[in-house]
Amino acid sequence: MSARRALKAVLVDLNGTLHVEDSAVPGAQEALKRLRSAPVTVRFVTNTTKESKRDLLERLTGLGFDIAEHEIFTSLTAARNLLEQQQVRPLLLVDDKALPDFTGIGTDNPNAVVVGLAPEHFHYEMMNRAFRLILDGAPLIAIHKARYFKKKDGLCLGPGPFVTGLEYATDTKATVVGKPEKTFFLEALRGTDCAPEEAVMIGDDCRDDVGGAQQAGMRGILVRTGKYRPADEDKINPAPYLTCENFPEAVEHILKQML
Amino acid sequence: MATCGWARAVRGLLLDVSGVLYDSGADGGVPIAGSAEAVRRIKASGLKLQLCTNETQATRENFVRKLRALGFDISVAEVTAPAPAACRLLKERGLRPHLLVHDDLVPEFAEVDKTNPNCVVLGDAAENFTYANLNEAFRLLIGMEKPVLISLGKGRYYKETDGLKLDVGAYMKALEYACDVQAEVVGKPAKKFLESALAELGVPAEQAIMIGDDIVSDVGGAQQCGMRALQVRTGKYRPSDENHPEVKPDAYVNNLAEAVDIILQHL
Repeated sequence: MSARRALKAVLVDLNGTLHVEDSAVPGAQEALKRLRSAPVTVRFVTNTTKESKRDLLERLTGLGFDIAEHEIFTSLTAARNLLEQQQVRPLLLVDDKALPDFTGIGTDNPNAVVVGLAPEHFHYEMMNRAFRLILDGAPLIAIHKARYFKKKDGLCLGPGPFVTGLEYATDTKATVVGKPEKTFFLEALRGTDCAPEEAVMIGDDCRDDVGGAQQAGMRGILVRTGKYRPADEDKINPAPYLTCENFPEAVEHILKQML
Repeated sequence: MATCGWARAVRGLLLDVSGVLYDSGADGGVPIAGSAEAVRRIKASGLKLQLCTNETQATRENFVRKLRALGFDISVAEVTAPAPAACRLLKERGLRPHLLVHDDLVPEFAEVDKTNPNCVVLGDAAENFTYANLNEAFRLLIGMEKPVLISLGKGRYYKETDGLKLDVGAYMKALEYACDVQAEVVGKPAKKFLESALAELGVPAEQAIMIGDDIVSDVGGAQQCGMRALQVRTGKYRPSDENHPEVKPDAYVNNLAEAVDIILQHL
């Protein structure tokens, strides 16, 4: 690790790392303050198909974190950036709550399809509409491809199955924009003037956070909070750069060893 | 006609229906020009004829009634369809299905025990492809020790009078992905299904020609069974089909009428 360049940016996962559901990880607010005293750019990165940046900001601020909206980068932001780069007008199959993140993006006469988690849109009419657009050449953009998620009353289909159905029918591949895609991590660094080798990612998901970041050329620190289960660190190769008890310990390591 | 070697030594024709005989639609559909006459000419010529469809939006009886109303001289025995084949398979294996199919197909399963389901049968459910219905099928499958998903065909899409529609295959793939299972397909291009259609046609594979608008289900499926196969440029046909990486029909024809013209000239 001696050839490593100096650290310039720290990417931090939200749920499971800074907070678990509605409680902050003990000491995380204070640790974030200490991290900000160092000469590094901080970005908060998360996979979400439902919560807009404003919703996330509101929750984090409520938990006592000092965070600005422009520091948050989500899978919805990644989708938005892709739409802007490709200059396309999306048919948005996303939850209404996510729509604020697409403010200003034209959706008339759509020529792209964005699929998030939107059970209310996953019906025959809308699927046919999306299908016809894709068959006519519209790019298919998936916020992520989760198979299912858990609700109080049981398991529910995620966006992945619907994306897969559209891929099969149109013989195309969706562009997946969320973690663990390499482009997600590279996009999160955009505007920071920082190369992947100069960044570290802290998260509780070994594959999506740590593995994804390391595939993109960053270092990855796994924290044993949130969804972490013993031996998660053995799930990826190469192994995480480091595994810590929690976010404050990860910050200590960065301040002492990585600057 | 010098290049029509594919048309020699034919004794029977297997015809796909939607996109070859007619374009389906909510209004009942419209016949494709020349196809009703072509069916009459096939029968008058002494060639054997069997329709081989993945149609699962109606019972065979109602399907044939619709075709007759559109001017096609067809009987129920001349139609091979997935639902009756699926019923045979369910009985053979003692399977009790949860049905995610079109309302109008349900009577085909009247004789099948559907209590305490131990498999899911998926058809082209159209408006019944709601999130709630797909979720119900998903929960049943994910709750089974060994999920069994039976799909009536695996078509990608088909053409209706108001445009292209997703077919059952898209929803089959969705459930396969969600549950990490592989569906068993009853319908084209499954070999067993096409062979049963061929048996009903009553001629050996090398003397039969399949005519369809689906490059994979019709053409690819038939060729795998040793039949010749033509793709018509009607129905869901798209010019890009002619560059398909895996399947190449024995010939393209503009429509069924043209295929029949050529075949009859070679008798």
